[in-house]
Amino acid sequence: MIDIRPVLYINGFLLLILAMAMAMPVAADLAGGLGSGGQGEWPAFAAAAFWSVFLGLALIFSSKGKGELGLHTREAFLLTATSWVLVALVGSIPFALCSLKMSATDAVFESVSGLTTTGATVLHGLDHAPWAILMWRAMLNWLGGLSIIVTAVTLLPALRIGGMQLFRMESSDKADRVKPRFSQVAWGVLGVYSLLTFLLVGALLAAGMTPLQAICHAMSSLSTGGFSTSDQSLGAFGDGARWICVIGMILGGGSFSLYVAPWKRGEWGLLKDSQIHWYLMTMAFFALTLTFWNWAVRDMGAYEALRSSFFNVVAVLTTTGFHTNDYDSWGGFAEIVFFMMAFVGGCTGSAAGGIKIFRYEVLFAMVRVHARRLLHPHGVFVIHFNQLPVSNLVLRSVLSFVMFYFFAFAGLSVLLTMTGLDDLTSLSAAAAALGNVGPGLGKIVGPGHDYGSLSITAKWLLSGGMMLGRLEVATVLILFFPGFWRE
Amino acid sequence: MIDFRPVLLITGMALSVLALAMGIPAAVDAVHGDPDWRIFLASSGVTLFLGLVLVAANLSGRRKAFSIRQMFLLTVTGWMAASIAGALPFAFSALHLSLTDAWFEAVSGVTASGSTVLRGLDMMPPGILLWRSLLQWLGGAGFLMMSALVLPDLSIGGMQLFRLESNSALGERVMARGLKIAGQLVVIYALLTGLLTLLLWAAGMSRFPALLHAMSTISCGGFSTSDGSVGAWRNPAVDWVILGGMLISGAPFLLYLQLTQQRWRQVLHNTQLRWYLSLFLLSSIGIGLWLLLTHGVKPLPAIRHGAFTAASVLTGTGYATLDWGSWGGLPVAILFFLSFVGGCAGSTAGGLKIFRLQILFTSAKVQLTRLLRPHSVVLPTYERKPVPDQVRESVLGFLFVYCLSFAVVSMLLGMVGLDFMSAITAAASALGNLGPGLTQAVGPLTSLTHLPDNAKWLLSAAMLYGRLEMFLLLVVFIPDFWKH
Repeated sequence: MIDIRPVLYINGFLLLILAMAMAMPVAADLAGGLGSGGQGEWPAFAAAAFWSVFLGLALIFSSKGKGELGLHTREAFLLTATSWVLVALVGSIPFALCSLKMSATDAVFESVSGLTTTGATVLHGLDHAPWAILMWRAMLNWLGGLSIIVTAVTLLPALRIGGMQLFRMESSDKADRVKPRFSQVAWGVLGVYSLLTFLLVGALLAAGMTPLQAICHAMSSLSTGGFSTSDQSLGAFGDGARWICVIGMILGGGSFSLYVAPWKRGEWGLLKDSQIHWYLMTMAFFALTLTFWNWAVRDMGAYEALRSSFFNVVAVLTTTGFHTNDYDSWGGFAEIVFFMMAFVGGCTGSAAGGIKIFRYEVLFAMVRVHARRLLHPHGVFVIHFNQLPVSNLVLRSVLSFVMFYFFAFAGLSVLLTMTGLDDLTSLSAAAAALGNVGPGLGKIVGPGHDYGSLSITAKWLLSGGMMLGRLEVATVLILFFPGFWRE
Repeated sequence: MIDFRPVLLITGMALSVLALAMGIPAAVDAVHGDPDWRIFLASSGVTLFLGLVLVAANLSGRRKAFSIRQMFLLTVTGWMAASIAGALPFAFSALHLSLTDAWFEAVSGVTASGSTVLRGLDMMPPGILLWRSLLQWLGGAGFLMMSALVLPDLSIGGMQLFRLESNSALGERVMARGLKIAGQLVVIYALLTGLLTLLLWAAGMSRFPALLHAMSTISCGGFSTSDGSVGAWRNPAVDWVILGGMLISGAPFLLYLQLTQQRWRQVLHNTQLRWYLSLFLLSSIGIGLWLLLTHGVKPLPAIRHGAFTAASVLTGTGYATLDWGSWGGLPVAILFFLSFVGGCAGSTAGGLKIFRLQILFTSAKVQLTRLLRPHSVVLPTYERKPVPDQVRESVLGFLFVYCLSFAVVSMLLGMVGLDFMSAITAAASALGNLGPGLTQAVGPLTSLTHLPDNAKWLLSAAMLYGRLEMFLLLVVFIPDFWKH
C-alpha cells in the first residue's frame, strides 16, 4: 500500500512556505501606494495566505500518526506530482481575488505558468498592473525555479527519471529508499540561488531599473521564468539591463549542482564539465547563426543584429521566454530555429526546461557508437559522459524520456488544433508549453502577444502541458500506469 | 582497401536494366508519333553503354558474398547512378527542364516520393508520363529487394529483426535464400501491379492511366497523369481502388508470400499489420470527422476522402483527392505526424516504419515498470519474442537521427526562403518519401517549379537520404569507413 502520510505532510509544509512568500507582494503593495495605505491589493494576498496556512496546517496535522515517515519510490512520485499541482492551485488564489478579477482558468494558467517557470501570460497591460501582482508573478517564477532545481538535484536522480541517475549522489546509490543528503544540498542551492538573485538585483538597479523592476527581472531571469513587468518584456529597457538579463538567464540555465561546489577534488569542475561546454557552444552557435542571418539577409545593423539575436536566442534556449524584439517577423528560417530551440533547453540541475543538454550529449554519443557498430558488428563500444562510461540502463531511460516528450508534443499539438487554432500557433505553443519556454510563434501566441485570447480549453491544455514538461513527463505518466497503484 | 569491382559490377547491371526500361517509353512514343522517342532511345543508349562498360570492366570482381563496406557502398552508388541515368530523358526531352529540375524529378521518381516540378501533366506526351511512373515502379522494386536483402544484414535501424536466419554471418546459403525470397517478392509486386491495373480499368480509367497509376500506387510513389492527381477523375470507384492499393503497398510484402503459402496464422497474428491498420483507421476517422463537421462534406464522401488522405500520407504515396495542402488546422497536424510514421517494414513505404514505433513503445512500457521496480527484469517484446538490446539501440538511434535530420533539413529550407509550415512539412515529407508538403506552396496539387533551385537540391538530397534509411549514406561519410 502507498503510505500517503508523508506526501500530505510535505505538501502541507510547502503550503506554509507559499504563505510566507505572499508577504513579498503585500510589501510591494504597501510600497507601491506609499502613504495611502497601499494599492489596495493586499487583502487578496492576506486572504490567500490565510487559506494557504489553514490548508497547510490541516494537511500536516492530518498526517500525524504512529511510525516513522519514510519516503519510498511510489510516495516520492506521488509527492512530486501532487505538490506541484497543489501549490499551483493555491498560488492562483491571489490572481482570482485581486482587482484584476481573473477567471479561474486564467488564474490557474498564470499561476502554473509562473510556477513551472514558463512565463506565458494571459495578462495584458503589465506596465500599469498593480505592484503586488507583478511581484507575485516574479515570486512564483523564483519559487518554481528554486523547487525544480532542488527536485532535479535531489529527487529526480534517485527516481531515475530520464537518465537523471547519471547525476545521482553517492549516498543514494544503493537503497530503494529515497533518502539523499537532502537538506545539505537544498541549503547549498538555496544559498547560491539567493546570492545570485541579490547580485542581479544590484546590477539591474545600477543599470537604471526601478527597484520593483530590478527585483522582478532578477527573480524571473535567474529562474528562467520570463515574467516581465512590461508588455514589451525586456524590449522596454536599455542595453545595460538587457545584457545583465542575458547573464542572469545563462546562469539560470547552467548547472546549480556545479555552482554549489565549483571546485571539487582539486579541480575546477565547473570549467571542465562537458555539459556546460555544450550548453555554451549551442548557445553561441544559434546566436551567431541568427546574427549572421539578421545582418546579411535582413539588413540589420551589425550591433543591433548581435544584440537582438543573442538576447532572444538565450531567452528561448534557456527556456526563459523574455524577448526584446518580435522575432516572429524575422522570417521562416528564424521561426524554425526558435521552434527547434524550444526542444533543446538548458543544463540539468537548472531551472530550465526542455529536453536538456546532457540528454543530447548522450544521444549523440550513442549515434556515434551506433555508426561504428554498423561497420564493426562485433566490436565493443562504450558511451561516455563526462569521461565516465554510461550504462545501458541510463541510455534507455534517456531514450524513453525523449520518446515520451515527443509523444506528449504530438498529442498536445493535435489537441490544440482541435480547439480551432492554426498549425503554427498549435505546434509552437505546444513546444513552448512542454519546454517551459513561454512565448510561441505567430500572431496569436508569438513574442509580444499574450495567451489571453485563447479559448478556455486551450488554456487548460497548455497548463497541463507546462506541468507535464516541468515534471519531466514520466513522473506524471507513471501515475496513470496501472502498475503504480497495484502492490 | 575496399574492392570496388563487385560494387561497380552490380551498379553496371542496375544501369543496364534501367537502359532496357527506357526502351519502353521510347517504343510508346514512337507508336504515338511523338518526337521524344529519339531522346529516350539516345538516353537508353548512353545508359546501356555506361552500364555495359562497368559490367565488362569489373567482371573479374564477381563474388558470391559481399563485405559490409561493399554492401553500404553498393546501395549508395546504385541509387545515385539510377537517379542520374533516370534524369537523362527529362533533361533532353521537349520539356526543356533545367538540370536541377530534371534531377529533382528523377530522384522524386526513383525514391518513390512523388513530388513533381512538372505542370500540365494532362497534355504531356505519353513517353514522359510512362517514364515517371516506371521510375517509381523500378525504385519501389529496388527498395523492396533492398529491405529483404541488404538492410537486415547491415543492421540498419533495427532491421536485423527481419534477418532470415539467426546467424549473422553473410554465408552463401543465406544469400542464395535471400535472393530467392527477393525474387518472389518482386513477382508478387508485379502481379499486384497487374491486378491493380485491371481493377482501375474496371473502375472506369482508361488503360494507359490505369497502368501508370497502378505502378505509382504499388510503389508508394504518387506520380499521377493529371495535375489534379487522383481527384481529377471524380470517380469514387477509382478512389477506393487506389486507396486499397496504397494500403496493400504499405503492408509488409513478406505477408503476401506467406498468404500464398497459406500460412494464415502468421498473417493474422502480425502485430505490425494490426498497428498499421489501427493507425490508419484512427487518423481516417479524425480527418473524416473534420471534413464532415467543418467543410460540410456529406458522410460517405467524408469517409472516402478522409481514408484516402490518411492512407496516402501514412504510406508516403502522396496522391490526393482533395487538396489537403489547403486545409490547415487539425488535419494538417494529424497528417504532419503521420508523415513521420510511414508504412510497415518490408514494404515500399518510407518514413520511420511501424515496427520501430512498436519497439519504441514496448521499450517505454518496460521503462515505466522499471521506474517502479528498479531491480526487476523485464524484457520488451516484439511479435511475442524478446527484443535484443542491440536492436533496441539501433531502433532508437535511428529515430534520433531521423528527428535530427528533420530539424536540419527544415532549418536549411527556411534559410532558402520557405515559410515555417512549408519548410517543416516539406522536410518531413521528403525524408519520409511522401513527396508533397502540407501547405498550399508545397501541397499535393502544386508543382514545385516555383521553388528556388537550392530548395530543390535540398529536397532531392533529403529524399535520397530518407530512402537510403539515412545510415546507409551516413556511414559512407565517417572516416572509419575508408580506413582499414
